[in-house]
Amino acid sequence: MTETFAQLLHGFSLALAPLNLLWGLIGVTLGTAIGVLPGVGPALTVAMLLPLTSKLDATGALIMFAGIYYGAMYGGSTTTILLNTPGESASIATALEGYKMAKNGRAGPALATAAIGSFVAGTIATVLLTLLAPVVVEVAIAFGPAEYFALMLFAFVTVAAVLGSSTSRGLASLFVGLFFGLVGIDAQTGQMRFALGVPEFQDGIDVVVMAVGLFAVGEAFYTAAYQSRLAEHVERIRGSLMMSASDWKRSWPAWLRATAIGFPFGTIPAGGSEVPTFLSYALEKKLTKYPEEFGNGAIEGVAGPEAANNAASAGVMVPLLTLGIPTSATAAILLAAFQNYGLQPGPLLFVTQGDLVWTLIASLYVGNVLLLVLNLPLIGLWVKVLEIPKPQLFGGILIFASLGAYSLHQSITDLAILTGFGLLGFGMRRWGFPTAPAVIGLILGPMAETQLRRALAISQGDASVFFTRPISLGILTFTALLVIVPLVVSALRRRRAAV
Amino acid sequence: MDNRTPRRRSPAEVAIGAALLLMGIGVTIGGRALSGGQNYALIGPDMMPMVVGIGLTILGGTLLWQALTGGYRNAEPDDPGERGDHPFVPSAFLWVLAGMGAQMALMKPGGFVLAAAALFTCVARGFGSQRWLRDMLMGLVIGLGVFLFFVRFLNVSLPAGILQPILGTAGL
Repeated sequence: MTETFAQLLHGFSLALAPLNLLWGLIGVTLGTAIGVLPGVGPALTVAMLLPLTSKLDATGALIMFAGIYYGAMYGGSTTTILLNTPGESASIATALEGYKMAKNGRAGPALATAAIGSFVAGTIATVLLTLLAPVVVEVAIAFGPAEYFALMLFAFVTVAAVLGSSTSRGLASLFVGLFFGLVGIDAQTGQMRFALGVPEFQDGIDVVVMAVGLFAVGEAFYTAAYQSRLAEHVERIRGSLMMSASDWKRSWPAWLRATAIGFPFGTIPAGGSEVPTFLSYALEKKLTKYPEEFGNGAIEGVAGPEAANNAASAGVMVPLLTLGIPTSATAAILLAAFQNYGLQPGPLLFVTQGDLVWTLIASLYVGNVLLLVLNLPLIGLWVKVLEIPKPQLFGGILIFASLGAYSLHQSITDLAILTGFGLLGFGMRRWGFPTAPAVIGLILGPMAETQLRRALAISQGDASVFFTRPISLGILTFTALLVIVPLVVSALRRRRAAV
Repeated sequence: MDNRTPRRRSPAEVAIGAALLLMGIGVTIGGRALSGGQNYALIGPDMMPMVVGIGLTILGGTLLWQALTGGYRNAEPDDPGERGDHPFVPSAFLWVLAGMGAQMALMKPGGFVLAAAALFTCVARGFGSQRWLRDMLMGLVIGLGVFLFFVRFLNVSLPAGILQPILGTAGL
């Protein structure tokens, strides 16, 4: 415990060094500015800004990315409240009440409770991350390939489990991602798989190209074809940004409850922030003393989901940093950013690159404070960004999207692959296939395969290794229960309904 | 389960299901062709493709079956109006596609700045902008700004193309 504290303090001393603070500041500002753009979620923001860090050292780059990550999330909530176009599924809950508040002339308090709630939840969740990470690392340091494989299997099952209404389409998306993960040279045997003779495919499909293609180019196709002729209306911010005493009184319990919901959901591989934001919304709706306001702009309905979103985003950092397992599309891209610097997140990173990890965690605290200090005063600027007309907005987005793909190998083929993923993204959006599982499958699939084959190589082909090691057995049993219990419950329910 | 509203069979849903099914079969066959099992690990590079291929086959089959029996479950409404969209505008879609194509064609011969301007102009056109001359100017300015910033400050190499004589001092 004291050791953790000392390491964190050391991290702060590095994160607060003027240059690193500057990178954090740039990250937060850019993240918010890009995240505010309608249709641009945190995953896309991080992916598009990846080329910007090419000249920085690892520490500076990761600090900047921590800022971008939080900034993008905050920017997204601004868009949702003022424009009612949730850029990502995690913002849908906010849109329900936030936009209503803005329409009623209460945009100020809605933005304020989102900002302060994000700060409160983000800070508490980062404290929890600080306390939890060393514990997980201590356990995980003993993990072998068998345990990692069991964990990744667990991740696949939970990603599929939260797909909810569209399980078969979500799984199809995950498996398409897994397929793209197969493309390229097999790391163990050097065999080429599914590369079709295209040199750009030999090193595998880059997660940035895929994410930017699906999210940015796909969104451009869809919006052009189906939404470019719709009239748009940005709600004006009338009156003060200040929250009244009653706003405060109604917001803070919602923030705290949402943090309690959001953080655990972030740490397990449950596909990010979507589920906790809806859970928080449902809980606030149930507990409120003003049920008549829900649906017409209840402040709890903004405070809760926004706080849950931020708490979950900090929670996602736990498996990412301690185990190297990304559990959301954004985390998958952050992992790619780590790998660009030859860093492999996981328990060993805490040992070999302790300074870097703790500086990153410290910069999460700093990023939260910077966001709170910067964003409410700059709200006028973000509204200006929001008002960029769509033709020029998407033209600009696609220039940056293409730049990111092209600068990887200076190759036109990468632009063609980007366009291909754009068309795929359009189709997925049009026919209701979620895109995030594909990105997670692309990055998690090859990792799972490597661990599985490593585990079996160590045991000389004996598959019982997964069941004789207690931790691996425990994770696998839990995973099996996750699959079986809902099936049994729904079978029982159906039988009861039939009687 | 059965409270879904009856809808007309969607050819696109059938096609997507069939495509995934075929893709699954193809990946399974392609996976089998990879030589595996020659080392003591028992599983080789063919294992994962087989798993993915079989998974895709099952999911493609499921979706095809759903498409043929009342449509995808909990699907997106087929009518754009119900989704809050307007009807499909083919020209808008094609302009965006043309923008990506123009960029690819111009990148090497014309250079990044011109490619970006072409992309910007086409995309803006697709989104309904009528003032293409102004858009082209904006695209040039944005492309130039991005080019100078990335080449000068970030050492990312981007093609200068025919603007090489003007941009020559930019560090290329």
